[in-house]
Amino acid sequence: MMRQSPNILKQNKLKQWTRITILLLLCLVILFVPFPIPDAPPTDRHIRIEASMFQFTPSEIKINKGDHVTVDLVSTDVVHGFSLDGYNFELKADPGQTSSGSFIANRTGVFRFRCSVACGNLHPFMIGKLQIGPNLLLFRGIILGFLAIIVALLSIKTKK
Amino acid sequence: MTRLDLTQFPIIQKILYSRWPQFLVRAITLAGFIFTILAGILGSIVGSHNFAIIFVWIAWWTALKLFFIPFGGRSWCSICPIPMPGEWLQNGGILQPSGKGIGLRKKWPKVLRGNWLQAGGFLMVGLFGALTLTSARITAIILLAIIVLALLLSLIYERRSFCNYLCPIGGFTGLYAQAGPVEVRVKNAKVCAEHAEKTCYNACPWGQYPLALKSSANCGLCMECLRVCPTDNIAVNMRPWGSDFGPKTKHRLDEAFLGLVMLASVLVDSAVFLGPWGQLKTAAYEIGSIPWFIFAGIFLFGALVVLPGFYAASVWVANRMGNIQNSFRKSLSHFSQVLVPLGLIAWIAFTVSFAFVKFTYILPVISDPFGWGWNLIGNSNTAWVGETTTFSLFFQVILLSLGLFWASRVARQISDSTKQALPLIAFCAVFNLSLLWLLIG
Amino acid sequence: MKKELLARLIIILFISLAIAIPVIGRLKLSVNHNNVVELHARMPENGGWSLSTIEVKAGKPLKLHITSDDVMHGFSIGKSDQPALEITPGEFVDTTLIFDTPGRYTFYCDRWCGPNHWRMRGTIVVTGDNQTSQPEPQPLFLKLGIDIDSPSDAETIPSKPVSAENGAKFQHLLPEYALQRDTYNATSPAKLWMRLRKESTLANLPDSDLWDIIAWIWQQNTTNDQVINGQEIFAKNCAACHGETGEGDGVMVRGLPVWDPGNHNSGNVMHEATGEGLVRPPDFTDPIHLLGVSPALLEGKIIRGGMGTGMPYWGPIFTNQQIDSLISYLYTFAWNTRAKNSN
Repeated sequence: MMRQSPNILKQNKLKQWTRITILLLLCLVILFVPFPIPDAPPTDRHIRIEASMFQFTPSEIKINKGDHVTVDLVSTDVVHGFSLDGYNFELKADPGQTSSGSFIANRTGVFRFRCSVACGNLHPFMIGKLQIGPNLLLFRGIILGFLAIIVALLSIKTKK
Repeated sequence: MTRLDLTQFPIIQKILYSRWPQFLVRAITLAGFIFTILAGILGSIVGSHNFAIIFVWIAWWTALKLFFIPFGGRSWCSICPIPMPGEWLQNGGILQPSGKGIGLRKKWPKVLRGNWLQAGGFLMVGLFGALTLTSARITAIILLAIIVLALLLSLIYERRSFCNYLCPIGGFTGLYAQAGPVEVRVKNAKVCAEHAEKTCYNACPWGQYPLALKSSANCGLCMECLRVCPTDNIAVNMRPWGSDFGPKTKHRLDEAFLGLVMLASVLVDSAVFLGPWGQLKTAAYEIGSIPWFIFAGIFLFGALVVLPGFYAASVWVANRMGNIQNSFRKSLSHFSQVLVPLGLIAWIAFTVSFAFVKFTYILPVISDPFGWGWNLIGNSNTAWVGETTTFSLFFQVILLSLGLFWASRVARQISDSTKQALPLIAFCAVFNLSLLWLLIG
Repeated sequence: MKKELLARLIIILFISLAIAIPVIGRLKLSVNHNNVVELHARMPENGGWSLSTIEVKAGKPLKLHITSDDVMHGFSIGKSDQPALEITPGEFVDTTLIFDTPGRYTFYCDRWCGPNHWRMRGTIVVTGDNQTSQPEPQPLFLKLGIDIDSPSDAETIPSKPVSAENGAKFQHLLPEYALQRDTYNATSPAKLWMRLRKESTLANLPDSDLWDIIAWIWQQNTTNDQVINGQEIFAKNCAACHGETGEGDGVMVRGLPVWDPGNHNSGNVMHEATGEGLVRPPDFTDPIHLLGVSPALLEGKIIRGGMGTGMPYWGPIFTNQQIDSLISYLYTFAWNTRAKNSN
């Protein structure tokens, strides 16, 4: 009896490690597996964005993957900038001088754009959102959250 | 539960036992605190070029949430400079108590005990945050007011009354220190029971009695008990995260309130500072204007009515699902443990969005702390606009899932059954979903 | 006890260090910057320039240490061709200016920083003994006695798009005065058209050909470089109110009442930053406005501003060449676009 117990312990440990490995793999699958969502056909987008202290208008924009996007940045009070996360895309506009630039939206997800020219106290928080294609990460986050709840509940049961 | 007593290692024991290392660190933080106040008052009006703004709100605030609390509980409190001047007067000595201190040493009024005032202070941080966060002058004035207030209170009241009952950051760290991996406990309860003098209790600036310590919420890790214990019976343990939670641990209603205020604050801060709504930012910033009153009204309604109401509803349902009917008030306190891991991880996830983007501001303000055009280390004006990376987005998703896992686990641990835990888990899930949407949606 | 003493010394040392860094730094800064003027740029709503007047002796260097306290500004000297300095918040720019001639110079912000941007002006007073500076020649609108505030819409406008190329074909028919610079300066296109209409040599030409001639005359009085130069000046200084296309719909005048010639004559009331009584500028692409005004009148408007409309005075800012270029560019709005039905 006494001799067996280290073996059982070892087995239990092995079981636990297998479970953790499976769980981690499952997490990776949820986070990274490609979802078969058809891309909408790419189009030309002309987006006029007005920048004022401390607001972009529109501040939430949705486009499709592959779209050829032209941004017209119009400043309405002081000099503002437009810098898009994840893309090397930056504009700077004085009031009265619209600044334009284009890029191809080849990365999907939600990207923040922010003012890149200091424009007052709240400048660091002057932010807008550009959603390119579906926001898969949000859905992955939700599924991962459900998994977290289930695993949490199971983790207690197995202990008893 | 497994514990690793750090005092068993002679080097660590020496470092903790000697007053010098901690004293030197606190001397540096005090000098830094004074320097920060001076920078805020004398330095540039432009926040990104002022040491006070960047070091308080980017560097320190981030370090507190990402490093001090998750890896050291209330470790910041052990090196915090704010109570220092008052404590010198109370102790009659800078390095150690001389027994000739001054002060009235009154007891803190009973009605003001608990975390209520701290929670109120944290609500103020939320209400005036947009201004304090961006104005170096206001930041400096608040820091100055806090250190003066702490000094005055320590002359009237006993020990660290300010830290225990007033300091909003004390409330924040205390609440989440319960989840942290460090604790001070006695090694052998029997030894203490036989020791009538209670030298540790008398020495404790926090008014704690180590033998009775069940939670790390009110222990500031100052190590005084360790130093005065005649029998070397104090342990400094590394422990699994979340060790203060359990079906039998005692929790108070004010903890639940504090936990809910923290949750409301992280949601509002995410919406104001990271959201795309410019009018909300302006409303939060223009204190005293009509939009600000609307903002304040909605914020307070959310923090004091909606979120607590939602929490109370889930507790009420959970209570009815249980085998034993506890009083509703008791259940509100009991289940508040769930709010701690949930809130801690939420704040960490928020900080990833909030601070990572702005880290390039740190070197320039070391190079030119006052925004006077200095270039001490050659890094002035190197800050750039910054961006959230794909990595940080994934990191936040993983963090929030982890928070939900942890909170659900705690909910299940402190409930009779899965059925009873579910309403609380639902509360956590909805909260986490809101934050997930605000941060990466 | 010795330990306690040491601890106190350490605390005193550290705190002294924390206080000494800013104090010594500030002192050093003021020693190094003995003759340096520190100038802070702020939005007019936040106080404008920190100094409204700077005095300097003629021929002596004026060292400026300039920064911005809020948003992006610029630093420029009026009536000069020196490039403007970009003033970024929290960063310092140093420059040295030398004025040889005594007099009053205007320094101004050249980047739009809100609806009151143009108020961000200050004076550099250059003192000296040799008062060699000559008084500026009187602007043409004063010499001619043009009332620039009276309604000035065109009496008549072309009914179809004009073509200067077509107008060139009839140049041999034109009377001498039509090609004189003075005529161009003092006459509005509509007035010149009416005068030429009465010429017997042109009696056979249809109205539209006559408008083509006017367009050609205006083209003759300007150069391509002037138009390009004027376009730059317009984009930088005017478009925020007048609109990038000249339609009077610039970002700064949104929400203001539409311009109406009737209220254009409100006297010498200077409007304060409240914006009360301000109006939108006229639509330059509607030829009825620009074809009714002469270059001299436009020059007057630019130099003096439009009383009571919100149009700033640019006299201390632009050089005469810059104003000429700007006028050349302005007329392109009237010529290049389809005639609008102003009814």
